[in-house]
Amino acid sequence: MLRIIQFFFLATILTIVAAHAENVDLSTVPSRNSVQLTIYNSEDLTLVRETRKVSFKPGANPLQFSWANTLIDPTSVELRFLSHADKLTVLDATFPHAKPQMLIWNVQSEIDGDAVIEITYFTSGIHWSADYVCLADAEEAHANVDGFVRVSNDSGEEYEDAQVRLVVGKINLVEKVAQLARALERDGRQLDKLGRSELRYKALKDYDKKEADASYAYGYAHSGALGGRFQIEKPKEVAKEGLGEYFIYTIEGTETIPSGWSKRLRSLEAANVPLKIQYRYRPAEYGEQLVRMYLLTNNKESKLGTTPLPDGTVRVFRHNGRDGLSYVASQAIQYVPIGDKIELKLGVDPEVIFELVKKRTWRDAIWMQINGTNVLDRVDRPDVKIDINSSVVGWDDHRAYARRVRNYTEKPIDLEVRHAIPGDVVFRSEFAAKNHDYQTVEYAATVQPSKTADLAYEIVQHQGRNAKQNRLVIQSATVRSSK
Amino acid sequence: MRFHRSLLCLAVAAASVVPATAFARIKLITLPVRERVEIQLDNPNATLVEEERIVPLVRGVNQVDFSWANTQIDPGTIVFRVVGGAAKADAKAEAKATDPLDVKVLSVSYPPNEASLVWQVSSNGSGGARVRISYLLGNMNKSFNYRATASNDEKTLVLSEYMRIQNLANESFGSSGLWAGFGPRFLKPIGINETKEMLVEKFAEVPVKKTYTCDPQAHGYLDRPQNKLMVPMHYVLTNNKANRLGAAPLQYGKVRIFQEDGHGGTAFIGEDWGKFTPLDDEMRLYVGVAQDIVVRRTIDKNEVHRIAGNLYNREVVVKYEIENFKDKAAVLDVSENVRAIRNEVAGDTGRDVQWELDKATTFDGGPDKEKSTFEQLLYHVSLPARGADGKADKIVHKLHLLIKNEW
Repeated sequence: MLRIIQFFFLATILTIVAAHAENVDLSTVPSRNSVQLTIYNSEDLTLVRETRKVSFKPGANPLQFSWANTLIDPTSVELRFLSHADKLTVLDATFPHAKPQMLIWNVQSEIDGDAVIEITYFTSGIHWSADYVCLADAEEAHANVDGFVRVSNDSGEEYEDAQVRLVVGKINLVEKVAQLARALERDGRQLDKLGRSELRYKALKDYDKKEADASYAYGYAHSGALGGRFQIEKPKEVAKEGLGEYFIYTIEGTETIPSGWSKRLRSLEAANVPLKIQYRYRPAEYGEQLVRMYLLTNNKESKLGTTPLPDGTVRVFRHNGRDGLSYVASQAIQYVPIGDKIELKLGVDPEVIFELVKKRTWRDAIWMQINGTNVLDRVDRPDVKIDINSSVVGWDDHRAYARRVRNYTEKPIDLEVRHAIPGDVVFRSEFAAKNHDYQTVEYAATVQPSKTADLAYEIVQHQGRNAKQNRLVIQSATVRSSK
Repeated sequence: MRFHRSLLCLAVAAASVVPATAFARIKLITLPVRERVEIQLDNPNATLVEEERIVPLVRGVNQVDFSWANTQIDPGTIVFRVVGGAAKADAKAEAKATDPLDVKVLSVSYPPNEASLVWQVSSNGSGGARVRISYLLGNMNKSFNYRATASNDEKTLVLSEYMRIQNLANESFGSSGLWAGFGPRFLKPIGINETKEMLVEKFAEVPVKKTYTCDPQAHGYLDRPQNKLMVPMHYVLTNNKANRLGAAPLQYGKVRIFQEDGHGGTAFIGEDWGKFTPLDDEMRLYVGVAQDIVVRRTIDKNEVHRIAGNLYNREVVVKYEIENFKDKAAVLDVSENVRAIRNEVAGDTGRDVQWELDKATTFDGGPDKEKSTFEQLLYHVSLPARGADGKADKIVHKLHLLIKNEW
C-alpha cells in the first residue's frame, strides 16, 4: 500500500468551501522539519507531532493536508503556530466531500514571510512492545537481564528521522483510532491513489531524500531503516521518566522505521541481578504441578528498578556449565512496577518429585434427623438409640494426607504450597500454615538435598448441617494418619 | 524446495535508492562459516541451537544480516552474543594488535515479509569477532528408546538407553555438539531429514524383579464370566544406584525387551512404553500375560448392618482362588482399590471410603507397607510350583473389609 501524507501550501486562489472543480492549480510542498512519534503500547495509538516551515502572505492562506492510505484519525488533526502565533489565525478547517482523507485550513495571516507550524494527529498502525532476555549463571544465583523495545511500523507512512517516545501505561480511549481512520473508507469513497497527488508525493520524496541521502555515510539499501551513521558507536540510550500514571521512554537521537519494518533497541541492561529459586504449588495459577520459579525484584538493590517493566515476553536462558546455554522457559509478564517482584515460571523440575499421599479417611460427628420432624441426634453420643426412620443430615469428613517432596537436586529447595479447600474446613498440621484467603491455605518448607519431606496434615470438612460457614480454620495439632 | 540459510556480514554496501513500496536490498556481503554448533536438547519442549562464527567487522558500524528460509526459527528467541574477539587487524602498533575488539550491538531491525533480521553492530576496530547466535529451532525432535536384554534366568538385564534425533528442521548441521541434558555430549553431523540414534547410557547387571500382578481395576479380567483375572507379567527396575541405575531420571520411551536364550542368542519377549521414571522410582514394564497363573476373584460376602436410619456399615469379603501351573514357584501381587470395591458392591456415593480390615482376611503379613496407600492395597502371595503330577495347588485368600458409615 502506498502511503501518502502531503502538505501543500496552495498558492493559487482556490475556492475553499466549494468542491474543488479546478483542473489547474499551483502548490508548494513544505517539507517536515522534525517529527516526533509518541507511541502507546496499551492501545493502537501514536501521537505524531511534526513541524514545518511555511511562507505566508498577508490575508487568506489555504493550507491543504491530506493523508491518503494511512491510518490517521481525521478528528485528531490539529494545526498550531510555533512562530508568529499572534499574527496567524486559523479561520476554519474544511473536510472536502470529494476528498475523504484531506482537510484544508483557511489561515488568516498578518505577516508576509516564514512561520513554523506544528501539526499533530493520531495514527494507528505503529506499535511498540517490550521483551526481555534473562540469562542466569550456572549456579543460578544471579542473572543478567536485558530489556528491549521493539517498534513496528505498519501505519503505511514512513516517518524519517523521527524522535521516538514510548509510553508505558494504560490509557483510556472511547473510540479506537483505527476505526476512526477507516470511517471514511467505509463510506465507500475511493481513494485517489494515482494522478496529481502521486506526482506531488514523488516531488516531496525527492525533496526529502536530498537531505536524507546527505546524512547517510553510505547508501546501504536499508540503512535508513537502521539509522546507520558511523559516528554512532554506542547503543542508544533510552531515557526513562515518569509522567503521571505513565512512564515515557525516549530513544536517544532519531530513528527511521520504514513502513513494514520493525526495529529492536536495548532499553535496559542489568548484570548480576540476584536470583531466588522457589518451588511453588499453586494449582489456581500454575495447574496441578509443582513449578520451579525464578524470583527477581525490580529495585535498585537488585540492580534494576530504574523503570517499571512494561508487559512483554521474558525468555529465560541459563549457562549450562558446558560453555553453552540452556533454554529454560519463555513467559509473558505483565507490567512490573518499580519495587515489585518479577516471577518467572520455569516449569516442572524432574529432579524434584511432589506427591500427595492420602493416609486415611474417616467420618464422625454424624447427625441424624428423624424423618418428618426437626428432631436431630448425634450417632456417636453414648447410650442413644436413634429412630430407624431417620436420615443422615450432617457429618464431618476427615482426610489425612502427606505432601511428599523428594529433592534430588544438589541444593536445598524452598517450597511454597498454596491451595484452596472449599467449604467449612479445618486444616490441622504440625507445621506452620496460614490463611491466604478465606478458603486457601498456604505453607512453606525447606527440603534438604537428597532428602524426602512428608508434610502431614488433616482436613476436617464439615458437611450437611454441620457446615455453618464457608471458611478455612487453621489449627496446630498432631495429625492422626493411622487409627 | 531449496533450503537456504546463512549469516551474512556486510563489509561494504552498494548504494541504492529507497523506494516507498519495495526495499531493494542490494548489498555486498561476506559469509562467515560456522565454527562450532551446539544443539542443546535438555529442554523437554524446545531445541536450542547455538552456533559460533567469526564475523569480520570493520571499524565503525557494521550490518550483520541473519536470514533463514523454510526452517522454523523463532525470531524472538534469537540471541546474539560476542564471546570473544580476534585481534584487531588494523592496529598500527604491534602491541595493540592483541587487543580484543570492543563490539556492541546497537539495534536489531526486522525487514517486512522476510525471515531475517539485521543487527547493527559497532566495533572499535577491524578484525574478526567471535559471536555466538542462539535460537530455538522447530522440527528438530528428540525421543528416547531402550533395549533391555534379560539374562536367561531373568535375574538381571542390560539396559541400553538411546537418544534419537530427527532433523526435520530443513537445516543441515555439520559436526555439532548434541547434549540431552544428561549423559555424554556427542559430536556428530546431522543432515536434513536425517535421523540419528546414539547410545546415551548402558547399564549392565541391572537387577530385575519379575512380578505377576492381578488388579481388577488396573488390568481387568481375562475371562469375566469365569471371574478369571488378567495376570500381566512385569519386569520392574528401580532407578537408583543400588540397582545399578540412578544416573538420571529415565526418560519416557519404548523399551524393547529381549531374553538370552541360553544358546548365545536372544529372543524378543515383548515391549512396553517406559514411563518417565524419577530417581528411586520403579519402571514397570509390561512384558506379557502370564496365563499359567490363574486367579478367580469373587465377592463372597456383601452384607449391610444398620447403625441408624439410613446409616449403615457394610461387610465385604473378596475371595481369590489362585493356581500356579508353572513349574517354578512365583510370587503373585494382589492389588485392590478399596473405593472401587465399595463402588462395585454398593454403587458410587461420591464419598471417601472409611474402612477397616476385618478378621476373615487371610493374607499373611498384611498389606505391603511401602507400596500400599490408604485406598490401594497390595498383598504378596507366594505360590508353589505345580506338583510333579502336573497339578497345581489351589490357594485361597480372602480380603475382609468393613466399610463404615455409608448411606
